[in-house]
Amino acid sequence: MVEIALYALVFGLIIISLLSIARAYSGPTVLDRVVAMNMITTNVVLTILIFAYLDNSFYYVDVAFVFVLGAFIGTLCILKLLREGHIL
Amino acid sequence: MIFVQQVIPYVALFFIFSGFFFLLVGVVGLLRLPDVYTRMHAMGKCDTLGTGMVLIGLMLLFADITNVTKLLLIAAMIATINPVVTHLIAKTAYNRGTPMAEGSFLINDYVASQRRRRRQPLVTEPEKGGDIC
Repeated sequence: MVEIALYALVFGLIIISLLSIARAYSGPTVLDRVVAMNMITTNVVLTILIFAYLDNSFYYVDVAFVFVLGAFIGTLCILKLLREGHIL
Repeated sequence: MIFVQQVIPYVALFFIFSGFFFLLVGVVGLLRLPDVYTRMHAMGKCDTLGTGMVLIGLMLLFADITNVTKLLLIAAMIATINPVVTHLIAKTAYNRGTPMAEGSFLINDYVASQRRRRRQPLVTEPEKGGDIC
């Protein structure tokens, strides 16, 4: 029962990501796209963790952690590029 | 003890679907709100709360000390990263001069007041404490 509910949750997370992609496609400014990509990142992290539970392979938890850190650094680089015109 | 073991998955599913509800509300705000700032507001609040609740539910499901610690670390990272990113997006949008929605206005222009203060040295007025009776 728990597994069926979790598969339904993964389906819902995919739908949420598709709606965020719709916002990222039609966003009038760049920052709308940054916001939408941030939301997609969070959904991907949750999906990775749910599949870690469903497969009983707990190494994916580390993958999710590294994914969070990488997405944070990427967002920081994009915002610094938008603010100052260069990254380094 | 057996009763607790039977109840725990339902509690976990309650937490997980509450978090999913908040994520859905955040996406509806992201699609419906008229402005960069308001969309960022919806993302920053609903996303943090929804992720936290889903992670609490997954902690109850995992029930293993190492993985629960890792999930707690991920929850702490997201709870600190999301406000920082939201703040930086707001600052970037304000510095780039992104237009706000129609009918909205700005109170207490903090950045401009800081710039004005840096350009002009602060003039300290003499205190007039003793004269007032």
